[in-house]
Amino acid sequence: MRPGPLRLPLLLAAGCALLPWLPGLPPYWITLADYIGVAAIVAVGLVVLTGVGGMTSFGQASFLGFGAYATAILSARYGVSPWLALPVSLAVSAAAALLIGAVTLRLSGHYLALGTLAWGVALYYTFANLDFFGRNDGIAGIAPLHVGGLALVDPRWSFTVIWLGVGLAVLATRNLLDSRAGRAIRALRGGALAAASFGVDTPRARMLAFVYAAVLAAFAGWLYAHLQRSVNPTPFGINASIEYLLMAVVGGAAHIGGALLGAALVTVFNDLLQDWLPRLLGHQGNYETIVFGAVLVLVLQASPQGLWPHLARLWRWRAPVRRVVDAAAPPLPRRALPARGTPILEVAGLRKNFGGLVAVGGLDFAVAAGEIVGLIGPNGAGKSTTFNLLTGVAAASGGSVRFQGRPLAGLPARAVAALGVARSFQHVRLVAGMSVIENVAIGAHLRGHAGAFSALLRTDRAEETLLFAEAARQLARVGLAEAADRPADSLALGQQRIVEIARALCLDPVLLLLDEPAAGLRHHEKQALAALLTRLREEGVAILLVEHDMEFVMTLADRLVVMDFGTKLAEGPPEAVRRDPAVIEAYLGSVA
Amino acid sequence: MTRVTQAGPGPAPPALLLEVSGLDVAYGGIPALSGLSLSVEAGSIVTVIGPNGAGKSTLLGAIMGVLPSRGGIRFDGAPLAGQDIEERVNAGMALVPEKRELFASMTVQDNLRLGGFRHRAEGRAAAARAIDAVFDLFPRLRERRRQTAGTLSGGERQMLAMGRALMARPRLLMLDEPSLGLAPLVVRDIFRTITALRGTGVAILLIEQNARAALQVADYGYVLETGRMTMQGDAASLAADGRIVEMYLGPQGGR
Repeated sequence: MRPGPLRLPLLLAAGCALLPWLPGLPPYWITLADYIGVAAIVAVGLVVLTGVGGMTSFGQASFLGFGAYATAILSARYGVSPWLALPVSLAVSAAAALLIGAVTLRLSGHYLALGTLAWGVALYYTFANLDFFGRNDGIAGIAPLHVGGLALVDPRWSFTVIWLGVGLAVLATRNLLDSRAGRAIRALRGGALAAASFGVDTPRARMLAFVYAAVLAAFAGWLYAHLQRSVNPTPFGINASIEYLLMAVVGGAAHIGGALLGAALVTVFNDLLQDWLPRLLGHQGNYETIVFGAVLVLVLQASPQGLWPHLARLWRWRAPVRRVVDAAAPPLPRRALPARGTPILEVAGLRKNFGGLVAVGGLDFAVAAGEIVGLIGPNGAGKSTTFNLLTGVAAASGGSVRFQGRPLAGLPARAVAALGVARSFQHVRLVAGMSVIENVAIGAHLRGHAGAFSALLRTDRAEETLLFAEAARQLARVGLAEAADRPADSLALGQQRIVEIARALCLDPVLLLLDEPAAGLRHHEKQALAALLTRLREEGVAILLVEHDMEFVMTLADRLVVMDFGTKLAEGPPEAVRRDPAVIEAYLGSVA
Repeated sequence: MTRVTQAGPGPAPPALLLEVSGLDVAYGGIPALSGLSLSVEAGSIVTVIGPNGAGKSTLLGAIMGVLPSRGGIRFDGAPLAGQDIEERVNAGMALVPEKRELFASMTVQDNLRLGGFRHRAEGRAAAARAIDAVFDLFPRLRERRRQTAGTLSGGERQMLAMGRALMARPRLLMLDEPSLGLAPLVVRDIFRTITALRGTGVAILLIEQNARAALQVADYGYVLETGRMTMQGDAASLAADGRIVEMYLGPQGGR
């Protein structure tokens, strides 16, 4: 999802809020639109959780239930004002999400989906079987919303309140996704490993998405309870959960607008079918379920990304999305780089076994500040595994790694990144749907501090300006300023590797680990890269380079470490290594 | 367009296997390739060089039918418009993509079997012979035949990707960056194989970062820059052209 095309849904929501006051509108339509609004809020939460964050939830209606029951109990039993009950509703749901999330979010993929299904079922029966929740009868006598002395019982009033709520949810979600915390959530799908390597606390980002979606659902539940004036367990069961998921998917789960569209389509279509099918086919049998299923399959066949992208394309055609970067923004504070020659990385006896296979078998080498060391060797020699051991992506089986004198053993990737270690990946790991500059900004994650709340309230703008100015600067430095607003996956593979270098530079690294940066580059592109790395070396950055392009690495590196079968075959200045018979035999071949 | 040398029309012009003319490809309204023309003679090696993002992979994708395009593509004289990927494979085209796209959870042998899918009617014995032929070309794959593709090293992965494509017995093999991420010794093997394949009559359309090596094995070359062909000529004269040397080859001596 991109932060741009949101004016459309916002305008729609605002326009909708005023709609029922048009004279002559059938009251039934207004009621239907109320339900669409409530569902849309839940579906917007699912966009963040499922469409953007990649976590499928079959239990979202339970959080609606937490919100609805909390306000029902407070309002009907204790006479608490609905407005005072609102924060309690949201807090109860958030607390439940934290608790449930702490247990289930360790799962991933279909295990997570099954986990949500399980607690979705369990919570439904909890609502239906406890006296506290009024069992199957639920709780009646909930007060309507009121403003001052005016009770908002007129369906037109509830409509306005609900659709203002939808507008609020859309705005908050837009703000969240277009922020430092939001980029962390957006990186979860497909880019989690890279994000962790740039200091993103990925479990926390997952939890944030989960709690946020739960809070939106609770908000919808609160609206629902005061609209309906009574609650019972049925609308908080598994069927409802599946229907919300369906709305998000049909509309387009990766887009906020898709949630609104899906909520409207599914609600109206369901209603039409229930109305018309019995007239056409007689009253026996639930034909609407069958027809509904068939239409759903057709829609998803024709448009697997949901229907929203079709609509958004018309809109974007008129207004291409461009992020405005403040070129005059002051640079972010930089860490002081150690003097050239200071030992930065010391690796001793590093080992990694995968079962019986020894990937790295006792490796020793060191890299100093202001030095470029090339790590070369045949494919499968253990070079990329070594990178993963150095950056905390994989745990070593033995040996030690010291960074600026400090042992790295046991530190997770994000802690290693925080010390000033940045890397690129052998197989490009950019977030596909995100623009190039947003991907690069993830590199500067640790140089910002704004969290979800400042994102929601937009108090993070000053910091965002600085982060994006830095991202733009690094992007210009690698020569890709032009591509800033393009989706990262639309670039050629070689360019994507260069984007990874810009992202790494955004971390303000002490040690830079580059995995085959020159792969796929043409001669003059390699020259530009070599010039950049030379400049970084002069600044005092320590660089470790895995590379197969011998011309590139031989002219650039101060020292080479040659690996074969997980161990060090040779080490020394490039000219010596080039003549080493063992290296020629294993790696270079006779004419190199 | 600069023509470095006029490809002199011989007495009997060799049959054109692939003929691309006026090809346009666009991504979401933004043109990636415009008015592109290219031809490959049967049994020859043609290389396309150019900077990153010029549209080289897009070109191969359009020829293979992976990407929608406008303009004329003729294969063996017949227009390809409206033919899907499967029909193009059946006509004798094969693409080895930049990312290899192996079936990672399947064994080497099963990857090859799937490569020969279009000849499935010929029976098991024929398939086994075809796999054996690939193993002769890449002996390393024979050693690894029961290993899953996901566990192979970079060089072995490229060998498997090429072997899988060859299982379809293509008349045109399109290779996208075959030496990407490979150690020097393996790069040499891959180029040796490309030269060997020419002897079997397969035409090859080659995109390769190592432009020097590509021009050494190729008969003819094109230069693709920002979506347009800016130069073409026989490979030897392109390799001697001053601008090509500066942009894509670098001074002689280094590899």
